[in-house]
Amino acid sequence: MWSDTILIVFISICTAFLGEALTWVLVYRTEKYQRLKAEVDKQSKKLERRKETHGDSLDKSVKKKIERYEEKLKNNNRDLSLVKMKSMFATGFAFTALLSMFNSIFDGRVVAQLPFTPISWIQGLSHRNLSGDDYTDCSFIFLYILCTMSIRQNIQKLLGFAPSRAASKQGGGLFGPAPGQFK
Amino acid sequence: MTTKTSTIERNANGAVKSSSLREICARALTKSEKWDDKDEFLDVIYWSRQVFGIILGIIWGIVPLKGFLGLVLFAGISCGVVYLYAINFQNVDEDAYGGAWELVKEGFMTSFAGFLVTWIIFYTGLHYDTIMAAKAS
Repeated sequence: MWSDTILIVFISICTAFLGEALTWVLVYRTEKYQRLKAEVDKQSKKLERRKETHGDSLDKSVKKKIERYEEKLKNNNRDLSLVKMKSMFATGFAFTALLSMFNSIFDGRVVAQLPFTPISWIQGLSHRNLSGDDYTDCSFIFLYILCTMSIRQNIQKLLGFAPSRAASKQGGGLFGPAPGQFK
Repeated sequence: MTTKTSTIERNANGAVKSSSLREICARALTKSEKWDDKDEFLDVIYWSRQVFGIILGIIWGIVPLKGFLGLVLFAGISCGVVYLYAINFQNVDEDAYGGAWELVKEGFMTSFAGFLVTWIIFYTGLHYDTIMAAKAS
C-alpha cells in the first residue's frame, strides 16, 4: 500500500509538470499571452493604487477615470482568458484520458488509510469504486486530487506562471467577479 | 521561465531589487521588519505555510493523530501562527492587506492539501499493520 501511495504522489508530480509544459508550449511562450499578462498585471496594480488614493473621493471625473480603467482591465482579462482557453481544452482532454487510464489501473484498490472519516459528500470521492463500507479506506482519485491541489499550484507559483495577486483580486478574468465597485 | 525571485523583482513596481532567498529568509525572521512590497510579504507567508503544513502533516502522521481533531488542530494552529506572526511579530498593518482575513487565508487551501497528503502518507506507511489489526478485531 505504501508503494501505491508514493506512486500516486509521483504520478501527480509528473502530470502537474506535464500540464504546465503543455500550457507553456500552447500559451505561456506566446508573445500575445506575455503581452496581455504584463498589461493586466500593470493595470491591476495601477487600479489598486488609484482606488487606494481616491477610494473615498466623490469627484465625478475621478470616478469616471477609474471606471474607464476597470473597463479596460476587464477587456484585457477577457482576452487573457480566451488565450488560456485553448490550452485548457488540450490539457482537459489529455488529463481525462490519463485519469481514466490510472483509474482503471487502480480500480477497486485501497491506496491508503485515512486517519479520519470524511464527511458524507466527500465519501463519494474518497470511497469511489471501493467495496465495503469502511470509509477510512482511500481511493486513488481522492489522493490524486489532494496531491494535484497542492503540487500543481506550488509548481505554478514556483515557475512564475500563477496569476499575480493584484490581477486575481481585481476580478480574475471571464469567470471571476466583475470589478464594479464604482458602478 | 520566470523564477520566484524574479516575480518579486517584477512586482516591485520597477524598482530594481535583488532579493535572494537567503535575504528574504533573514528579513522574514527579523522582528518588525518593514515590507515595502506587499507581494513579497505575502510570498513569505505562502511558502512558510506550505513548509509548515508538510511538517505538521509528518508530525500528525507519526504521532498518530486521528479523526476530526487532527483537522481542526491543523486549521487552528496554521491560522493562529500566521496571524500571530503577521500582527505580533512583524507588526504589519492588516488594513494595508485588506484585513487580517486576507493574511490568514493566504495559501491556506494549498497548505491544507499538502498537509492532508503528508498526514495520510505517514499515517498509512508507519501504522499500516496496527490499523489492519485494529480493523480485523
